Amino acid sequence: MLKGAIEYAPSTFEERGAAVAFTTPLLSQTRVRCGERSKLEVLIPSLSQGMGIYVVAWKSVPDMVSMTMHDRYLHDLIVKEEACSPYEIRRATLRAARRGLAGPKAAQAARRALDEDDEQGTLTHYLLILSILKAVGLESPEMLKAGIDTDEGQRLTRQLMTRAAESLRMDATLLYARLADIASVTAPVGLAHSPRPGRLTRGLNDLKGFRDGMIDWARDVPSDAAPVAEFCAEVAQHTIAIGEKVLGDFHRRIDAIGPLMRDWDDAFIRVRTQAARMAWLLDGWSHITGAWEVAQAEDRQQQAATVNDLFRILPLLPRRESSRDFVEDSKQVKMAHRRSVRMLEDWRTGQMDIDAIRRIEAVKARAP
Amino acid sequence: MSGAADGRGGGDRLPGLESRLFDIPEDKFIEVVRLLERVRDHPEVRQTFAAIRPRLVQVRPNRRPTLKRVLCMPFEDVLESFSGLDVPVGRIERRVIDPVWRLVTECGDRALIDRLDRQVQETAPGNLNALRNIGRRLWPMAAQAIQGAVGGVGEPDTGGQPQWRVLQGDEEMRRQLLDVAAFLEIGLTVEALKDALAPKPLAALDDLHVDAIEQAAQAVARQSAGLVYHLLLVAASRMANPADLLTVLNDLDFGKARREQPAIFAQLSGLVVTNLEERSARLESKDGGKDWGEGGGTGHSAGPGGAAAFAPEEAIAIAERLVAGIDTTSAAMDVLADPAYRERLDAVKVAVRTMVSGTVLDTAPAGILTAVPAPAANGRPAPVDEDAQAAAEDHARALRRCEGLAGALGLREPLKDTLVSMEIGLMARAQALLADYSKAAGDPDDAETAEMNLFYALRLLELVAGPAKADRLRTAIMAATGEFAEE
Repeated sequence: MLKGAIEYAPSTFEERGAAVAFTTPLLSQTRVRCGERSKLEVLIPSLSQGMGIYVVAWKSVPDMVSMTMHDRYLHDLIVKEEACSPYEIRRATLRAARRGLAGPKAAQAARRALDEDDEQGTLTHYLLILSILKAVGLESPEMLKAGIDTDEGQRLTRQLMTRAAESLRMDATLLYARLADIASVTAPVGLAHSPRPGRLTRGLNDLKGFRDGMIDWARDVPSDAAPVAEFCAEVAQHTIAIGEKVLGDFHRRIDAIGPLMRDWDDAFIRVRTQAARMAWLLDGWSHITGAWEVAQAEDRQQQAATVNDLFRILPLLPRRESSRDFVEDSKQVKMAHRRSVRMLEDWRTGQMDIDAIRRIEAVKARAP
Repeated sequence: MSGAADGRGGGDRLPGLESRLFDIPEDKFIEVVRLLERVRDHPEVRQTFAAIRPRLVQVRPNRRPTLKRVLCMPFEDVLESFSGLDVPVGRIERRVIDPVWRLVTECGDRALIDRLDRQVQETAPGNLNALRNIGRRLWPMAAQAIQGAVGGVGEPDTGGQPQWRVLQGDEEMRRQLLDVAAFLEIGLTVEALKDALAPKPLAALDDLHVDAIEQAAQAVARQSAGLVYHLLLVAASRMANPADLLTVLNDLDFGKARREQPAIFAQLSGLVVTNLEERSARLESKDGGKDWGEGGGTGHSAGPGGAAAFAPEEAIAIAERLVAGIDTTSAAMDVLADPAYRERLDAVKVAVRTMVSGTVLDTAPAGILTAVPAPAANGRPAPVDEDAQAAAEDHARALRRCEGLAGALGLREPLKDTLVSMEIGLMARAQALLADYSKAAGDPDDAETAEMNLFYALRLLELVAGPAKADRLRTAIMAATGEFAEE
């Protein structure tokens, strides 16, 4: 059941696992991954302030840790759906929060997030149609004027898309199918010229704000947690640098929609891989940036405690993704970190820290 | 800001602005405050500042410096707060500021005041060093002016002097003016101590803090032994639990004030007890603390008809601070072996217990159970009320936080009874909803509403009774809805 503490130095994102927004403090942002024989495993960091990571069979978690009702539900849902990618885990998390088990505010935020996902999907689909038409020289002011959600607009769109398919020398059905594939891959990232940035692009922007916030805080608040905040800023910066490169490359490929449609097999795989990489890069950060925003209303002692909590769950880049060994660097910071870190709930007695749970739920209500 | 030419438009506009100033982002708020400060002498703008004070306190924008503000720096920590709940030890009332300013400008060195005023106007907001440099010259002069004006007052035949116009025979005002003079006299040391005891409020005193207090006390003692007490008032006001200062006081070396140390300890202890009494007396105020001054309370404090004075979670937070203060004071004052203090502290405890019982325990059935709707007669689920759920969750959390105080307040049994009764009540209501679930299961919207009501009841049970007990209800809900049926 419990494999014992291991040295945590994952090579790939998949090995690192996807962060799960549990509300049980001990399990908050623990990572789930597909282990041997596709069995789900959970990685629990710093159990009782230890240095290693514990690998636990996913199904055994409820027997080991006293979980909140929200987490029992989410746990069952993840088992049922065999979810282990950031996208799947996020959808499961939103569905659990939508049930109200993390409180009414988190439920409202989850409903909003699910609605926004749908709206973003529709918007991306629409913008991609315009891109395709533009690529084959079929821009139509009449279609734009009618709007895609009217009968007339849809008739004009179908007409133009049929001509676009001819121009691209493919069947219209195939064009629509490929369009749907690109839209589903692109919606979370968003298009470069979209009036509303995609969820992952917004996440990258939030991460920049977090990096700046950490730098300012480390400078303005001299404390044991200052070097921890500096390290958080460095990890964030490194992630941002990679993220910007991936995002730029992704947008360039999507912008060249004609070649993408023509050279489909290779080009689409590349686009999908980049979108997935963005999702993995930013996985776990939305809780961190949200927690830091929540902490802005608190005093500096509480902020220092938050910095230490965030360090524990920092999404360190896997070895294959970065030239810098952040796992090794984090050990240096850990010495300062261990002096000021708050104890988690006692996992052996199963006592719940309702204040800690509330703080996690407050983040969920802000950044579902 | 001028509004319409007839003046009425301006009057209409500013109140609207006030409410908007609570909603706009922080950077915009700071920008608007800067603009308003340029015309701050306008009566409506002053009114606006008074109305937005809660947000000013929260955001703390670097206000445009004024000489009056520099004058207040050494005693700003002991000024009564706008929230009205946490009274600083040895507090100075805000009504004292204007008389202090008038005394200083009327009785002080006018040429120096004018020169310093010009310097302040050229100082950028937030340039603390420059303001302290100005204070270095202002504070001793101001202290002397106040002492000269009211220090020897007491005879009615001085009624023609400016000080009597200011005091109007108000003895409490005079006492506070003399305290202000004392703070001003040690202004520079106070400012240095504030840096060492930052950020405010200090949760605990570490060795560096204690060293800083000792050194500051020795420096002040060289000036005058009688002023050490005032320095310690500032130190106490910068702490989350002012009584913590008492625990280290006897280990400090006061230097030239060594002989006065027992008297200072007794004086400060007495003041801490009085402060606890004052804070507990405010709990009993049935009108929600309107007598605390402008902006008093946090919006939860005054219930309709003056019923519940605080929201349950707010009540627990206040109780936690007061109980911590009582415990520390009690332990520190054992050396004085004065039974009168013990009785006074016990009386404070009784006031806190009454407040917690009335606000958290007695109101639990109405605050928690009623959030779970009863099954409707028509078979359709009651609509989900998320505001009521949020309030009930806050109440349930307050009840659980009460566990940490129950021993100290003698509330163990009443709390246990309340928790058991909430658990039974929630379980009964949830079972009733569960029994009714099948009626809603056929319609997807109704089923979703019924499930939300069930999950919210489950959550309240979890908060009140813990996850182990709630899990039985969760299993029953999952079995009824069949959501993870294949398992």
